[in-house]
Amino acid sequence: MVKKAHFVTGKGGVGKSLVAALLARFYSLKSQHVLLTELSEISFYKDYLDLSEIQYKPTAWLPNVDISQWSGAECLKEYALHLLKIKKLYELFFENPVTRSLVQVAPGLQELAILGKVTSSPRKHGPPMDYDQLVIDSFATGHFLNLLQAPRAMAETIQFGPMGEQSRSIDSWIRNHDFTTVHVVTIAEELPITETLEMCESLNKQFQIQPKIYLNKLLNISKKDVLKLDAKAQDVLLSELEGEDKARSTLKKNNLEFIELPLVTNLETTQILDALLNTLKGSSL
Amino acid sequence: MITLKPETKTLICIGTGGVGKTTMAASFGVGQALAGKKVLVLTIDPAKRLAQALGLKPDGHLHQVKLPKNDKAGLKNSGQLWSCVIDHQMAFENFIRDGAKGVAADEEINRLLKNKLYLQLSGRLSGSQEFTSLLTLHRHVASNEFDLVILDTPPAQHTWSFLKAPEKIAQLFNEGVTSWFRQDAESQSVFKKILNVGTTQVLKALESLTGSEFIKELSAFFGAIQRWQKPLETYVMNCHRLLISPHTEFFLVTGLDPSRLKEAEKLSREIRTQGYRLTSVVINRVPEWLADVPQFIKNNPNENRLNQVIHYYQSLEDQLQLRIQSFTSQQTVYKCYEFSQNTEHVQQLKENYDHIIRLS
Repeated sequence: MVKKAHFVTGKGGVGKSLVAALLARFYSLKSQHVLLTELSEISFYKDYLDLSEIQYKPTAWLPNVDISQWSGAECLKEYALHLLKIKKLYELFFENPVTRSLVQVAPGLQELAILGKVTSSPRKHGPPMDYDQLVIDSFATGHFLNLLQAPRAMAETIQFGPMGEQSRSIDSWIRNHDFTTVHVVTIAEELPITETLEMCESLNKQFQIQPKIYLNKLLNISKKDVLKLDAKAQDVLLSELEGEDKARSTLKKNNLEFIELPLVTNLETTQILDALLNTLKGSSL
Repeated sequence: MITLKPETKTLICIGTGGVGKTTMAASFGVGQALAGKKVLVLTIDPAKRLAQALGLKPDGHLHQVKLPKNDKAGLKNSGQLWSCVIDHQMAFENFIRDGAKGVAADEEINRLLKNKLYLQLSGRLSGSQEFTSLLTLHRHVASNEFDLVILDTPPAQHTWSFLKAPEKIAQLFNEGVTSWFRQDAESQSVFKKILNVGTTQVLKALESLTGSEFIKELSAFFGAIQRWQKPLETYVMNCHRLLISPHTEFFLVTGLDPSRLKEAEKLSREIRTQGYRLTSVVINRVPEWLADVPQFIKNNPNENRLNQVIHYYQSLEDQLQLRIQSFTSQQTVYKCYEFSQNTEHVQQLKENYDHIIRLS
């Protein structure tokens, strides 16, 4: 049974998927059975982790870590089959081009189905999931808030009937701190930091969630060393170091705790993960 | 500097987030305007510094940008640069109103604009930003006011999501879907009756899943748009046509990062088979300073952190050189140096443009 759900978000290009994979490994080392899942139409992990195929149905990635890819349509399909039970009715319902378009365009329905799947264990609704923890490589910042808001929005739109009731129940599990953790990844640049601050404020205001923050890809080089290089290199590197200091102080000023992750100077994903795992073990997480 | 085909009137910058796509689109705008064209740059969510540089206001209106002095011999500042931050809500509303012109009464339109499903749809839901960007692009290209319109596409996990947007939205205005909710007399033909038996059962299934209120909102929505669905459908088709028009070029902006280069490589192969003109790939934020770092530092990765970082960047550059060969012969590959982050004004954008180097 899933006891914890970890959502990982952040602006595009900050290393969100890397941190999600890292967290999945991290929790699996605490003898937890983990499912890492990505919410994208086209798999990122397939190429990134060099796997042969990633599907809705989980496949093994590492000992104690399985991996899968969830789309709203598939979450909904699984749920419908579970609920309708009658195969014939289900076929009529889903193997129909019109339904497929409808599911595509009905606003919030896919988001709701995804969160329904995430919270299906504690709500005891839907097929059982044999994992202790879920790590969800979620949408980028703006769309991520829409995802979390979907159950309440749906509950307000549809007040009666099974959908309204379920939306309310999903919403309450998303707001349950023992169940849901949000991880926000950022890098030391203006736009990602601004988005992180806005995201933390929204999460706090709307969901009373304090996310865990990761400041990723830090150069961590010494200024003294940089001064040995020529002027052009100094100009670029010093401005980056300045950006790193500014990012740290901005986060601190806003009373946000964060975990620092260095830029791993390696091209292989597995080696990057190994290096960061050591950083994470020594951190406050 | 980049080279566009003479017939190009639309330039679309695609690429995943965090590669400096917006700044690149703005640099293209400055460069092309200085070359004498009347250019419009459409952006989504510019960083503060870039917004200040271009005098951008998030109001959905066009603003003229003051160009830096042209230092090229024989060229005057004859071009113009305009910029606009896309207002998604406004673009979607214009789309509905344009489509309904002459077909639906104002109160009908207003009722739709208040429908709860419409409100969610026109918000920041997945795919709708891509669509409204495309609508805005189409409007300005069709106006013929500009020699070149440059679009900076919304941040997306995957480049495909932008190209798939019209298709996704088109489903909404599909005859099949709307006819489901049509309860008027004309749907009583024998054929439609047979069709309706199945439909009724499917709707019942949907109702048991969602409850009757959801179906009510859904019916209201499709009921409202069914009459002007044809013009909307045509509009969506025109947007798609713009994407595959011979006057449209795509530039893929990417970064010096192994997973990004891999994606660029894959895309450059796939995108052409779909009929889009992906003519160029720009590798952004290539560290220029690296060239002048003494070789003995580059060769000693284990000495200290700075050396490791330098060695890492160098290996990325080496990877890039290897991968250039694998881009199809159809694409021009450019690289652009990283400039220090604290100076971003129009002059800087111009310099940025001047420093785009052709690799192949």
